[in-house]
This record gives sequence, C-alpha cells and structure tokens, in this order.
Amino acid sequence: MVDETKLAEKQETVETLRKVDDDLRLPSVPERNFFPKEIDIAPARLQTPAIGQRATRPDGRLHGLGQTKYIDDMFFPGMLHAKIKRAGVAHAKIKSIDVSEAQKMPGVQATLIGSEIPVNSFGPSLQDQPLLADQVVRHAGDGIAAVAAVTEQQALDALEKIKVVYEELPPVFDPIEAMSEDAIKIHNNDSNIYASKTIIKGDIEQGFKDSDYIFERRFTTQMVEHVPMEPHASIAEWDANGRVTLHSSLGRITLGRADIARTLEMPINRIRIIATVVGGNFGGKNEITTEPIISLLSKKTGRPVKCVFTREDEFISSTTRHPFIMDYKTGVSKEGKILARKVRIVCDGGAYCSWTETTLGKASILSAGPYNVENLHVDAYAVYTTKTVTGAMRGFGAPQVCFAYESHMDDIAAELGIEPLEIRLMNAFNEGSSSPTGQVLESVVVSDSLIMATERFGWKEWQK
Amino acid sequence: MIHRGKGIGCMWYPIGFTAAANPSAATIKVNEDGTATLLTGTVETGQGSLTVLAQIAAEELGVSTDDIHVVSADTDATPMDTGAIASRTTYVTGNAIKLAAEHAKQILFEVAAPMLGVQPNQLEAIDRKIQVQYFPQRSLPIADVALQAQFVMGRPPIGSASYNPPTVGMDPETGQGKPFSTYVYATQCAEVEVDDETGEVDVLYMSAAHDCGTAINPMLVEGQIEGGISMGLGFALQEEMLFNDLGQQLNPNLTNYIMPTSLDMPEIDVDIVENFDPTGPFGAKGVGEPTAVPTAAAICNAIFDAVGVRITSLPATAEKVLMAIKDKRLSNQRALPAAE
Repeated sequence: MVDETKLAEKQETVETLRKVDDDLRLPSVPERNFFPKEIDIAPARLQTPAIGQRATRPDGRLHGLGQTKYIDDMFFPGMLHAKIKRAGVAHAKIKSIDVSEAQKMPGVQATLIGSEIPVNSFGPSLQDQPLLADQVVRHAGDGIAAVAAVTEQQALDALEKIKVVYEELPPVFDPIEAMSEDAIKIHNNDSNIYASKTIIKGDIEQGFKDSDYIFERRFTTQMVEHVPMEPHASIAEWDANGRVTLHSSLGRITLGRADIARTLEMPINRIRIIATVVGGNFGGKNEITTEPIISLLSKKTGRPVKCVFTREDEFISSTTRHPFIMDYKTGVSKEGKILARKVRIVCDGGAYCSWTETTLGKASILSAGPYNVENLHVDAYAVYTTKTVTGAMRGFGAPQVCFAYESHMDDIAAELGIEPLEIRLMNAFNEGSSSPTGQVLESVVVSDSLIMATERFGWKEWQK
Repeated sequence: MIHRGKGIGCMWYPIGFTAAANPSAATIKVNEDGTATLLTGTVETGQGSLTVLAQIAAEELGVSTDDIHVVSADTDATPMDTGAIASRTTYVTGNAIKLAAEHAKQILFEVAAPMLGVQPNQLEAIDRKIQVQYFPQRSLPIADVALQAQFVMGRPPIGSASYNPPTVGMDPETGQGKPFSTYVYATQCAEVEVDDETGEVDVLYMSAAHDCGTAINPMLVEGQIEGGISMGLGFALQEEMLFNDLGQQLNPNLTNYIMPTSLDMPEIDVDIVENFDPTGPFGAKGVGEPTAVPTAAAICNAIFDAVGVRITSLPATAEKVLMAIKDKRLSNQRALPAAE
C-alpha cells in the first residue's frame, strides 16, 4: 500500500526544487526588445533643399527607443574586464611595483605595468604623459598597474593586492609657486613653465599714456570636469594576425590610431578603431587613455578586454578644464574707448601637457575680447603642478578669458557711468577689424549679436 | 532680501586648429537609385554632426537629408578626419563633404548631359532631379542618371575630396599671423535673483544670440546653445573640483560635485544671428564650443547689477557671494563718519 503522506511530501519537495530551479534558470535567449519596425520619417528629413531644415537625427530615434549601443552594452565571447590602480599620492618616485599577489587572485588572467609598454608616453604636443606611471608619479590619479579578470569585481579585488613602494617627493599645487625658480621641478626640466605665448600689437606704453583712466583687476577660475554621461570606455581584441580592433569612445580616431601605433610600436594598418555613438565628449575624449593598455592585456590573454571608467576614474584620471589666474590692466578714454590692454595669464597646466599648448594659444588670442584694442600685450604661461591633468574642454581657455574681459568691461562701464551695452557697441569689432594677431576679420557680427540678444531680453525696458 | 539684476556676456571664438593643419577627407558613393552613402572619419559625440553633414551632402547632390546614409568613425573604412574637436566639424569636414559631393555630381552631370542634349556645365541638381539650368521641364530623375552611370556607362558616381582651412603661422615674438580661417561671435544676457541673506543666485532667464554662419540645421544649433548654457551655468555658479593637502580630490563623484540639473536651468530664448561665410559649406561656420563661453560672464555681470559685488573668482557659490556682500556692507559702514 502506498504511503499517501510520504508521496505528498515527496511531490512537494520536487515542486519546491523545480521552483528554485526555474528561479535560477537564466533565459536561454535574451528578452525581446520591442520597438516599432515601421518607421515614421519626419517630413524635414525628406524635404529639398536640405539646408536650413530642422531635420531630426537618426541616432536620436535610437536613443529615444533605448536601442543605442554604447561600449558598455557590447559583449564579446570570453571578454575580460580591466581595472587600473591609481597612485593616490601626488608626487613620488616609484621604488617598486609588485603584482605577484594580484596575479594569484581568483579570476585574474593578466596584469600590466608601465615598463611592459613598448613606448610608455603620449600626448598631442609634448609626449610627457605615461600610460601607466613606471618611475615617477606626478598626480594622485596616475595609473600604476592594470589587471584583467573575468569579472569587474575580481579585477577590483586584485588591485588591492598590488604592492607599490613610493619615495614621496614634495608636491606643488599652486601654479604661481610652481613658477618660481626654486620650486621642485616636476618633469626634471629647468622650469615648470612648459609653454608660453606672447601677443604684441601696437605700442602698449603709448596706449596707457594716452588713456584717461586705467583699470586693473585679477580674475581666477576653477578646475572643472567634462562629466560626459558615458565615461571613457573601450574594448580591445587582439587577433591571430597580430591586428588589434578597438571599440572606443575616442572622439578623434585618426590621430588616436597614430598615438596607439606609436605606443605599441606597431604599423598603423594593424590597428582598427571603431568609434560608437559617443555619450558626450566636450573635449574630454580627444586623447587615448586605456586603449594601448587593454590592447596589451588582450595580447597577453588572447581574449577581448573591456575597460569602462568609473565616475571616480573619470574625475581623477581624465583631463579637466584649466584653472586660470588672469591679470588685466586696461586703459580707456573718458568716452569709454579701450586704448590699451595688458593681460597676463598663468594657466595651471596640471601634471602633464595634454592640450594645454592649444588652450594657452587660443586663450591669449581671444583674451582681448571681441573688441578693437590697438595697443595690446598678452603674456601667457602654462605651468606644471602635481594636480589632475588639464586638457581640451569645450572652449579651450575661452570661457576663462571671457569671464575676465567681460567682468572687466562692466567694471569700466560702471566706473565711467556708461551703459554696459553702449560700451560694448562702442568697442566691438566691425567688418574688416584687425584681430590681436593682425588678421583682417570677415563676416563679423558682434554688434548684431549684441543688439539681437539685448532686444530679445528687453534690455532697455527691463527694470529691477 | 531678493535683488534682481541683468548682465551681458559677449564673445568671439575661432573655428578649427590654431595655425596648424587639421584636414578632413570624405567620400560620397551615389547609389543606383539616387540615394547615397557618405563616408566620414568624424565621430558623432551627441551634437548631431552626422545629421548636419548629411544635410550638406544632400544639398550638393540636390536630394533630401534622408537620402544620405552616413557611415562614420571606423579607421578601416572611413577616410582621415582630424576629429570632433575645435568646433571644426561643420566647417572643415563639411567643406570636404561638399567637395566630395561635387566630384560625384560631376560624374552624374557628364552622364546626364548627352541624355538631355546639353553640356555638363549647363546642368544643376535639384529636388532629386538633374535638370537644365533655367529649363526645369528638361530634367531627369537623379535615380535614372545614377542607374545609367553605373550600369550603362560603367562610371559609378563616387567622389572623394579633402579640405584643410588656410592659415598663416604666428610670429613667435609677437604672435602676429592668421591663426584661423574664420571666427564666430555671440552674446548672451542673463537675468538673476540674488538673496542677500544667503548669497544664493538663481538664474531666471537667458537670451542668447549666436552667429554660426548659415544654420544648416536650426534645431541642432538651438540644442547646442541650450546645452552650452547648462555647462556655462555650472562653471559660473556650482562646479569645482576640490583637493586636500595631499593633492587627492575631495569630490570625485556626482554627490559632492554639483552639476546643474534641469531644475536649475533658466528659461532660454535662442536667436541665430543671420550671417553667411563665403569660405564655409553653404556659408556655415560652427557653434559647438562658443555656446558655453559667455554664460559665466553674463551671470557674474548680472550678480554685479543685482547686489553691486564683483565676483572675481569662479564659481560664484553662495558662500562667495555672501562673503562679498558682507565685505561690501562692512566697507560701507566704515565709510560713515563716527557717531557723535
């Protein structure tokens, strides 16, 4: 006779087990994405002539439907995840790096340190930045070693086991202090000033002599991050023909490929970069970051390797906007006409050059503002400090100098009792004006933009 | 007490690299049905550049934006491009694309000329047709010409070209030279409220009038300007990377590094200043970076107008503004004669 109770118990156990099994079972195919297959094309995309149409973006449709594939959405069979150990100290000599314990950690497939990179330096104008610091740390976000593991967490855990011995060096954070002759030299050069620009136009001394009033003011700006929604991300896959394919968030692939070829000592035609739709750049993704590192990790492991920056990596190791110290001295006539301007810019250039030279150049040219200044003298210096790397960011030094020359303009206007709009219209460039570099300017619409923006604002009628 | 103020920020900004070569190349392949594929090495970074570039190619070929499919940013497949940097994409890459499309169009004209019984230089491409100038009734659909070119004449209509903006190097002593081919100009005005008890600044309204040459796509220009203002607002009032005495960052996260959100954004009115640059593709220049340039200046000038304090160090945080207001009060008090 069957024991009813036992049978029921047995069945219940089987049911429970099945339920647990169902809960644990991963779907064999990913969930289907539903998006409309019949597309509705906006009329502006179909009209001719095409210029001037408010045509919608095909990538906008993909963003809206959640169908855009960013780097972090891409997976390849056997793909590993890389993480980078950061120095944490601002300025130090590296005595030794020991990755042996990290290599024994679960899931770890390979490690990489700077001395394993064929040419461990890069940079758009000066190649002064190591991909992974191997001798000297010059800011706290410098990378020291990289780990590739099966999961991100395993890579992170392994970073903890990397032992680095430092001999700390005195840091220097203030650019003015770093300029002095007895300051510690961050790059073993004679001076921490690594770029300078001069613009001279007219006769500055005579201009100040002819002026009725002279105004002076120092302006400073801060360091900010680009904060793109998508952080720096890339995937490297080294193939059996010795070619490497990189899916990357790089914003300038042609020059990036040349930089990668240089660091890996490889012919350019063995490197392929495929950029996806980048989730925000703002100048921050104009340089290679981890691409050569993960290429070498992929070469070591024979597996695709992905590296996605955390928000913290993004802040501490990627480029930022240059802090500026700007001294303005302006001579004006009693009517409010600018007769002479002297500008001195000290640009906190961070630990490495990056796009600083370009930033300094643009800032000096633009520093007089969109105004006719016949007598001008601009001196600009970029200085190494043991802080986060400063580089390209939307405006290349222009937001800094614009804050200074426009604030200065209102100081002058207030002192002379001239309406801010009037003093600008009086000094603004016109068609055929000569720029600070002596260039004849064409298609100039400074006054038009002033009138248009103030009319829209209701400037004249506006009351407190 | 709340004080209101208004301020102006005016700026100029160059297009392209500073007195250095920054070329772009492009290839256009017209398909047998008159649609086309554009190959470019530039990268779409969210600004809508690929749509603008498609519009430039479409205009030159006389087709619509949707007729152009853009393949971009693969070093194995797409031609050289200096990249999405220096507000150069519309101007430099755009010029390269316009030239490439001209080359492809020339093949179409040479094929169409005997079909229409005229010389190639008498033709124009417009509304998806190749037609005789001033004789719109004598025309052929671009699809018919493209098919004829490829399968009858054996001349696939493909065009390639490159462009590099002309510059003159700068003198190292004086900086004199022609570092850029062209510049853009813009003004932004801000209306703010400043609380003199807390130092808090609220930006209520901004008007922005930007020159970008011809606005190839006014909607995308407006998008750039609104995005630039949000970045400028953060630079003006909130954002700052802070370090401790050891050179370590104190706020490397979005909890303590405060960026403007949609709730911080003022109402914005955007105007595009009408302009035409003969050196740009269809008169266009660029707009990307300049949009973030004058915002902080306009806001700080509005703070000055509201409470009479000059912020000389960015960002103009509530603490800094309040400190400046207190200093001003203190110096005003000192100016009073001593009480009898």
